[in-house]
Amino acid sequence: MLTYLVRRLPSVAFLLVATSIVAFALPRLTPGDPAIAVAGPDASPETLELIRHEMGLDRPPIAQYFAWVGGILTGNLGMSFTTSRPVAELIGSRLASTLELAIVAGVLMVVIGIALGVATATTRRPLVRAVLDAANSALLAAPPFLTGLFLILLLGIFVPILPISGEVSLFEDPIIGIQYLILPALALALPQAASIGRLVATSMRTTAEEDFVDLATAKGVSRSRIVRRHILRNSMGPALVTIGLRFGELLAGAIVIEAIFARHGLGSLAVTSVQTRDYLVIQVLILGAVAIAVLMQVLTDIGVAALDPRIRLGASA
Amino acid sequence: MTAIDEKPAPGRMSPPLRGGRAGLARYSRALRTPRGAAGAILLLVLVTLAVAAPLLFPGGYDVQSRDALALPTWSAPFGTDEVGRNVFVRAVYGTRTDLSLVAIAVPIAAVVGTLLGLLGIVNRTAGNLAQRFLDLIMGFPSLVLGICVTLVLGPGWPALVLAMTIYALPAFGRLARATLLSQENRDYVSAARMLGVSRSRIMGRHILPHTLDTMVAQMVVAAVASIYLESSLSIVGLGVQPPEPSLGVLLNNGARYMEDQPFYVLGPALVLFLLVLGFSLLADAVTDKGNKA
Repeated sequence: MLTYLVRRLPSVAFLLVATSIVAFALPRLTPGDPAIAVAGPDASPETLELIRHEMGLDRPPIAQYFAWVGGILTGNLGMSFTTSRPVAELIGSRLASTLELAIVAGVLMVVIGIALGVATATTRRPLVRAVLDAANSALLAAPPFLTGLFLILLLGIFVPILPISGEVSLFEDPIIGIQYLILPALALALPQAASIGRLVATSMRTTAEEDFVDLATAKGVSRSRIVRRHILRNSMGPALVTIGLRFGELLAGAIVIEAIFARHGLGSLAVTSVQTRDYLVIQVLILGAVAIAVLMQVLTDIGVAALDPRIRLGASA
Repeated sequence: MTAIDEKPAPGRMSPPLRGGRAGLARYSRALRTPRGAAGAILLLVLVTLAVAAPLLFPGGYDVQSRDALALPTWSAPFGTDEVGRNVFVRAVYGTRTDLSLVAIAVPIAAVVGTLLGLLGIVNRTAGNLAQRFLDLIMGFPSLVLGICVTLVLGPGWPALVLAMTIYALPAFGRLARATLLSQENRDYVSAARMLGVSRSRIMGRHILPHTLDTMVAQMVVAAVASIYLESSLSIVGLGVQPPEPSLGVLLNNGARYMEDQPFYVLGPALVLFLLVLGFSLLADAVTDKGNKA
C-alpha cells in the first residue's frame, strides 16, 4: 500500500503543480487590468498604482506565483479584489453549502447506482429488466441540470411538496435543511448513479458466469448470499473506479445545480468571480476542484485493492 | 450529423479491414438494430430541423408577439417566452447552435487528439510530454475546464468551441496511443515495414483504420459531452449570450418562468434529451456491433 502511494506521488504532485500554474496563469492572460476593475474607470493613475502595489501586481509574475503558492501552503489565500474580504473567509462561508450537497449527492449516487445495478443484473423477469434498462438509458441521457429541472417541475410545481429554491443549513435546522437538499442532491446523483448502475450490472453478469458461483450454488448457498458475498463483491472493482472518476463530474455538476436551485455555494462563487474577474478567488477554486477530483481517484484505487486481495497495489503498478 | 457523415468512411479504408463493402455492411447492420435505428431516426429528424431552420422559419428566432408566456398552441407547440417569441422556433435554432458548435469542435478534437496520441512515433520526449498534457486535462472536471477557458476568452462561441475541443482531446489521444501500442509489433506491421513501406504510410493505411470503430463511437460520446458543456455553461450565464438561442440559454431563461409557462423549459429540455438520447443510442449500436464482430 505504502509503496503504491509513494509510486503514485510524483504523478499526483506533477498534476497539482501543473494545475496551480494553469490556475495562476489563466486570469493573467485575460485582457484588462484588475486594478481598474477594483478602483473604477475614473481612478487616477496614482490610485491605480497604489492598488496594483497593494495587490502585488507590480511584481514579476514568477514572484507573484511563488508568493501565491507559499500563501496557500501556509493558509493565507490573500484578499478578494472585488469584495475586499479574505479569500479564505469568502470560501469558508460558502463551503458548507457545497459540502452538504456533494456529500448527500455522493452517498445517493453510490447507493442508487449499486441498487440499480444489482436489480438489473439479478432480476429474472424480462419485463422488469426491460423497464430498468429503459430507466437507466433515460437517466444516462439526462444530465444533472435536466434531471433537476424535471424534479423541480414534478415535485416543486405540479405536486408542490418540496422547496425548489434557496437553502437552509443542515446545522441550523436539520429537518428543514434536508428538505431543501433532497431535490438538488437527487438531481446531481441520478445521472451518475445510472452510469454506475450500468457498470455494476454488466460486471455482475460477467461474474455470475464464473466457476466459483456454480460451486457456491452446488454447495447450497442461498441465492441472496451468492449475490451479496460472491457476485457483488467481485464485481465492485470497475464500479469503484468509476465512482472515483465520477466524483469530479459531481463537482462540476454542482456548479450548475447550485445555479438552478439558487443555492449559494462554491459554484455560484466561482461563476461570480469569473464575471467580476476576481483572480485570487477563482485561482483557489480551480486548484481546489482539481485537487479534490484527483484525491478521490487515488482513494478509490486504494478502495479497489481493499475489495480484492488479489490486487496488490505495490506489485501491480 | 458528424456521426452519421462518418459512417461510410470505413468503406474506403480497404487493407486491414475486411473489404470496403463489408465495412459498410457492418455499419448498416448497426443501424438495423432497434437501438441504432431509433437513434438514427431521432438524429435525422433533429438535424434536418436544425439545418432547415432558416427555410422553415424565415423570420428567425427573434420574432416577438403580444402573447407573452402563452401556453402551447398548434403554431407554437412549446408556447411563447417572456417577450412573446415562439419557444419551438427558438428551440430549433438553439439545436442549430449546439449542433454547429459540435460540428466544429468534435472533428478538431478527433484530429488533434489523435495526432497528440501518436506524437510518440516522431519523438519519444514529445510523445511523453503530450501524454502529460492530456493527463493534466483529464484532471479538470468538464465545467471547471469550461470556466477556465471562459475566464480567458470571455463568454461566447470561441470559448465554447475551445472548451469543447480541449475537453474531448484526452479520449482521442489515449485511443490513438493504445491502438499504436497494441498494433506496433503485430506481424502485418512488421511485414509492411520489411516491404519498405514508409512509417507514415504504415500508420495511416495499416494501423489507424483499426481505431475507426472506436473513433466513431468516441466522436458520438464527445458530441454528447460537448452539448452538456454548452448547456451547463449557458445555464450559469457563461456560455452562448442571449438573445442568440442555444438549448442551454433556453433552459436558463425558461427555468425562471416555470410556474407560469412550464413548457418554456419543458420544450427545450425535451429537445435536448432527444438529441442526447439519439447520440447515445447510436453510440451503443456502433459499440455493440464492434464487440460482436
